[in-house]
Amino acid sequence: MRAFAFEGGFVPPSTADFNLPPAFGNNEFTTKPILLVFLSVILISVFFIASSRKALVVPTKLQFAGELIYGFVRNDLGKEIIGAEFMRFVPLLFSLFTFILTNNIFGIVPLLQFPAMSHVSFPYVLAAFPFIAFHYVGIKKQGLGHYLKGIAFMPGVPKAVYILLTPIEIATFFLVRPLTLSLRLFANMFAGHLLLLVFIMGGDHLIKGVIGLKLVAPFSFTLGIVMTFFEFMVQCLQAYIFTLLSALYIAGALADEH
Amino acid sequence: MARSNEEGAAWSIFGYLLSGLLVWGGIGAAIDHWVIHHNHWFMLVGFLLGMGASIYLVWLRFVKE
Amino acid sequence: MKGTLNLVGYGLSAIGPAIATGLIFAAYINGVARQPEARSVLQPIAFLGFALAEALALFGLVLAFVL
Repeated sequence: MRAFAFEGGFVPPSTADFNLPPAFGNNEFTTKPILLVFLSVILISVFFIASSRKALVVPTKLQFAGELIYGFVRNDLGKEIIGAEFMRFVPLLFSLFTFILTNNIFGIVPLLQFPAMSHVSFPYVLAAFPFIAFHYVGIKKQGLGHYLKGIAFMPGVPKAVYILLTPIEIATFFLVRPLTLSLRLFANMFAGHLLLLVFIMGGDHLIKGVIGLKLVAPFSFTLGIVMTFFEFMVQCLQAYIFTLLSALYIAGALADEH
Repeated sequence: MARSNEEGAAWSIFGYLLSGLLVWGGIGAAIDHWVIHHNHWFMLVGFLLGMGASIYLVWLRFVKE
Repeated sequence: MKGTLNLVGYGLSAIGPAIATGLIFAAYINGVARQPEARSVLQPIAFLGFALAEALALFGLVLAFVL
């Protein structure tokens, strides 16, 4: 991909910009994304322990902020979608939401500026949690045979059509759902980071050019800043959608459809 | 219920369409690769079949009721 | 320069379904906002239209990779 280099020497950002070298020596377990993930866990824990440690009837600002986020996940994502048994799944949804949100927002925090989710392995692992959860819940609630039958065989269809539809249903539930869940998050974070790199690195290159290019450089930087705010929106939205779809899948497995 | 939520329904329609394409297109491509070589007709048929089947499935799941 | 024109083609082919999806949901939101009780009538129509538009986008996506 580095073959893109033009005569002026501008090297457009590429996938190589996502493979950061290890932070300490040669230990490949200390790359920036891994350290950021650990940092996010520490930050989330400290924030929510601090906000809920001395719960008062009249909440402090910190407690209010913590309860706002918790209430949003519990009511808008848990109660609204899963229904009666939602309380069991709130810890899972809440962990997913806060973890993804924090890691996404690291993409635009100065100095950190790297969304860990732009490495596809992180979303894969994250999508495994709702994947296991909704299958486990479905099997436990409906029994293995009944659950698989509900997935594979739509009622009200002529028998011959099952040959056509059953592979699609099975592929949807066991392959496409976790895959799209993780790839949506990955692609949004990856593309967003790349977009910011293009505008900032492009502006940096323009400002070093001749006078005509120097005049254009501020536009590139301005668009980079505008895109940063746009990215903030996308990052919050992706964390929300990931949790929403997890909740919907769990709700679908819980509901006795047939 | 999943069906009352438009956003979730839209994404699950997307999932059905994608998996229809992947499954039947993949079967068609496999026939092309292993049975008749250097030809793409079965893959094309697989894509159309898969897309038709998944639109039918979407119709069953989201429209009929 | 290096790369494949398939991706440019996919980008172009995604414009149509994108506009279509936007129009479908815009019309659906309009309809529900004007007449909330029409929601159950409009929803299946909107989903079917969305599925048909999205099918074309997915054809573009898959063909960009396999051709």
